[in-house]
Amino acid sequence: MSLHEVNPSIKAFTVVVSILILSVFFDPITPLVTILWSVTVTFLFGRVSFKKWLLLFTPFLFIAVIYVWSTMLFPRLQVGDHIIWQWGILTVTAEGFQRGLSLGLRVLSFATLSIMFTLTTKPTDFLLSLMQQCKLPPKLAYGIMAGYRFLPLIREEFLTLKNAHRVRGVAGARTIPEKIQQLKRYVIPLLAGAIRKAERTALAMESKGFTGAKNRIFYREITVSRIDWIFLFLMIGAVILSAFISWKLGYLQFYNGEL
Amino acid sequence: MLAKWKLREVIVLSVLAVVFAVVYLLFLQLGTVLFAMFGLIGYDLIFGIWFIVSIIAAYIIRKPGAAFLSETIAAMVEVMIGNAVGPRLIISGMIQGLGAEAVFAATKWKNYSTWVLMAAGMGSSVFSFAWGFYVSGFAALSPGYVTAMFFVRLASGALLAGLLGKYLSEGLAKTGALNSFPLGKEHKRNVTV
Amino acid sequence: MSLFKQLEAEGLGFSYEERDIFTNLTFSIQKNQSLLLLGPSGSGKSTLAFCLNKLYPEAVDGILNGSLLFEGKNLDDFNQGELNQKIGIVFQDPESQFCMLTVEEEVAFGLENFNVPRIEMEAKIEAALAMVGLHDEKKSTIHTLSGGQKQKLALACVLALEPEVIILDEPTANLDPQSSTELAETIARLKKERPFTLIVIEHKLDDWVEIIDRCLVLDSNGMILFDGSPRQCFGEFAPFLQKEGIWLPKVVNAGIAAKNAGFYKGERLPLRHHELLAGLENSVAFSIKNNITVSLGEPILEVNGLYARGHLKNINLRIHKGEMTAVVGANGSGKTTLSKCVSGLLPLTQGQIHFLGMPLSKWKEKELFKHLGYVFQNPEHQFITDCVHEEIGFGLEDQAAIPAILEKMGLEKEAAAHPFSLSQGQKRRLSVATMLVHEQDLLILDEPTFGQDANTAHEIMEVLNEKEGSVFMITHDMELVDQYADTVHVLDKGELIFSGTPESLWGNLEIIQQARLKLPFRKRLQNDLVRREIHVAT
Ligand SMILES: Nc1ncnc2c1ncn2[C@@H]1O[C@H](COP(=O)(O)OP(=O)(O)OP(=O)(O)O)[C@@H](O)[C@H]1O
Ligand SMILES: Nc1ncnc2c1ncn2[C@@H]1O[C@H](COP(=O)(O)OP(=O)(O)OP(=O)(O)O)[C@@H](O)[C@H]1O
Ligand SMILES: [Mg+2]
Ligand SMILES: [Mg+2]
Repeated sequence: MSLHEVNPSIKAFTVVVSILILSVFFDPITPLVTILWSVTVTFLFGRVSFKKWLLLFTPFLFIAVIYVWSTMLFPRLQVGDHIIWQWGILTVTAEGFQRGLSLGLRVLSFATLSIMFTLTTKPTDFLLSLMQQCKLPPKLAYGIMAGYRFLPLIREEFLTLKNAHRVRGVAGARTIPEKIQQLKRYVIPLLAGAIRKAERTALAMESKGFTGAKNRIFYREITVSRIDWIFLFLMIGAVILSAFISWKLGYLQFYNGEL
Repeated sequence: MLAKWKLREVIVLSVLAVVFAVVYLLFLQLGTVLFAMFGLIGYDLIFGIWFIVSIIAAYIIRKPGAAFLSETIAAMVEVMIGNAVGPRLIISGMIQGLGAEAVFAATKWKNYSTWVLMAAGMGSSVFSFAWGFYVSGFAALSPGYVTAMFFVRLASGALLAGLLGKYLSEGLAKTGALNSFPLGKEHKRNVTV
Repeated sequence: MSLFKQLEAEGLGFSYEERDIFTNLTFSIQKNQSLLLLGPSGSGKSTLAFCLNKLYPEAVDGILNGSLLFEGKNLDDFNQGELNQKIGIVFQDPESQFCMLTVEEEVAFGLENFNVPRIEMEAKIEAALAMVGLHDEKKSTIHTLSGGQKQKLALACVLALEPEVIILDEPTANLDPQSSTELAETIARLKKERPFTLIVIEHKLDDWVEIIDRCLVLDSNGMILFDGSPRQCFGEFAPFLQKEGIWLPKVVNAGIAAKNAGFYKGERLPLRHHELLAGLENSVAFSIKNNITVSLGEPILEVNGLYARGHLKNINLRIHKGEMTAVVGANGSGKTTLSKCVSGLLPLTQGQIHFLGMPLSKWKEKELFKHLGYVFQNPEHQFITDCVHEEIGFGLEDQAAIPAILEKMGLEKEAAAHPFSLSQGQKRRLSVATMLVHEQDLLILDEPTFGQDANTAHEIMEVLNEKEGSVFMITHDMELVDQYADTVHVLDKGELIFSGTPESLWGNLEIIQQARLKLPFRKRLQNDLVRREIHVAT
């Protein structure tokens, strides 16, 4: 089986639920185990390129690291905290360190789960599935799809506008400040163009008889199979298991806002 | 709710959302940089930008749900084009959207003065902060720092979302692209009068 | 043909924000009739088309007055979408009528809207795409299609729905000559297989004369100038149409020319090719073309071994001083791509381009575009301001010249309008005008005359002809090539397969076939006449 074939809605639901469960706990181990698990699944069943994965993951690694130290440097000192290291106003306590670690890993666990979703789901499939499984109103879904169609175009629109300016004798930007100037000159026309095109798309859709009626026969059917449910339970099971492990190791804490 | 919407409005809404989803993603990079420089609070400096679409959409279309939907869709698209915060981001988006929507709702979706727009931006700030407080565990930080974060974000919401949003929307109205929307009509009236 | 009135308009009028587009139109269309809707550019044809299937006035804040009945029922009494299945429309602007990512999905979208059973969809999609010859593009993403390919897809989407009425708004404006003919033939064939009412808006009439059985002509003020049979329309009425600047079928033009020259003996103007032939006594008269073979100046632009976008292969060509160059070729053959490379808008993957003796890459942008003008295939890509007047005035020293240009391009009325709110033809003229007002050494135009009526097309070409600098023009209009071009380059699947004078091209029928071109009318007639002489002789 492959993650790409898992029903997008269920995949999304799984990820959201896992994340919600994770955010109930607050300790290093639970997220750590989950991370290991979700990464394994992503690469075993996702057939995703490691480069792509890393590209999405690194920013979070970065954020996590900064979380760790900013939590370490601005800790809420409590009586009985063991001070590991002190320098001027900076105080690092064992508890503070653990909190930082927990926070950092927490972020990463959310990230790995989400990346698993992002890298194994086609946007159009996701929307189709949202309509077919979650009964998202077609008006909205196709509205979004029509909007989504603009994504590849946005870059082109920008180039087109740039070319127009070049051809009309407005010099293209080279230096950074020029580029910022240019951006200012472009943002409004870009939006205006987008809106005009949006209106036409609406016209086109209506001319093709689109009314947003609920009952709709889809050319591409997104189905739900047993695999999807298995996936759901495996993933959520794993999260709970990691919490259990953490509890066995005596780390597990509930996230009660740390007050 | 959508029943009252024209397809035209839905699509314009989602196009706005898409365009700003991209903008949001770009600002995420900037945010990360500021983050590196100032720690967590770095994000709050520019947090307002992540509410701007709900302000613009509501200001242009002026229908119940515009703020909420646009922000939600923007978040969805962001996830689709690879913001690895992932599905959780959609929830954040919804919550931010609700913040702005709540303010517009308080005016029965009638009043779109500068103040209301800024208030809407702040509404998003409040809601998003509460949510962030829960999921990102700000609680682990010292109260003083958290309070500072809150007020920075509040200001950012009012300025970067409220004011900037108004400014952009009116720039758009000038191009005549909004002629068949309330804002555009309003603008034409002001010009002709 | 049943005489039952399918569409009835009574005192129909439409106005955008306090400006009347057309007023008090009263006409009716019978079931399965083929109506040709004519009128000068900007007369309101497209607007009328949108009103006929209830897309307007909802879509724009315009006001529609008068009554409009479909099968005896007022349009307002139809609930949303119901009408769109009965009346299918192909928009004029190929860019603006898609809402899906891929070709396949786009066709499917329409079928889904009318709840076609899934099992039937596949077949219908295949069939529709096959009809317009887009079978190979089934899986491709729409925004990578060429202008013409998009127009074909738009048609496929409508055909798949098998509506009772099909409205085509200049469906061939961006098609290569053979595709245009094929499209007309396809429509004719479909009408035989499964009768439907057809409303065609066209400027290039020749392919349609055979099909249509009724003409409705709007004048520049959006009033009905003529409503009746083609025979009458292009017969006694021809002069009025000419006065309005509406294209006539080339046969008719030829007939008129011959009549005036006094060697057309047919008692009434010809409408079909054979009638013209029958009517002509002196045959040589048409063969002569006063083409002064200009001695070309030195080259100002040289392309050597150009490769680009994995599509253009090893292109070599020269553009000389004062030369009028035409580039022709099938849809998707790479004309636009080439023109963009030549003007430095697209990077080359290989090869060099020298402009005025200097490598293109070495040019300072601002400098380059003082010497080189470019007109995009999609008019809207040209526009950077918010009103027609500014658009022309942009970067122009003497602003006083603007009104004259507006006048010349027939845009006086629109001076204050937003470029995007113009009619397709008006957009085209405006985008060309923005470049014509400047003096460049080389002006590159991507299909400068599509969607133009006779007058405006003539205006544009005259101005181009009088221009000092060289002109590099992409076109699908063989008549233009024949009349104006000094040199013609033929592209086929990204390769340059012919460069030479038009005359020599007309001699080379394999090339013409391969590149999906056509002989210009003059040539076709000439050949027929020659054939006739032989026939008579033997
Ligand atoms: N959205 C719009 N807002 C305002 N005016 C418009 C709009 N669309 C068209 N017009 C005006 O309505 C008139 C008729 O436009 P229309 O597109 O119907 O002309 P047309 O007969 O189709 O011309 P062409 O042959 O060039 O396509 C034009 O003068 C145009 O400027
Ligand atoms: N932005 C793009 N990205 C990728 N491929 C493209 C892009 N634009 C065009 N193409 C492809 O390049 C080929 C040539 O396109 P081009 O627009 O140059 O054709 P053309 O000769 O201008 O056709 P037409 O007469 O229909 O305008 C086509 O097969 C098209 O699919
Ligand atoms: Mg038109
Ligand atoms: Mg082209």
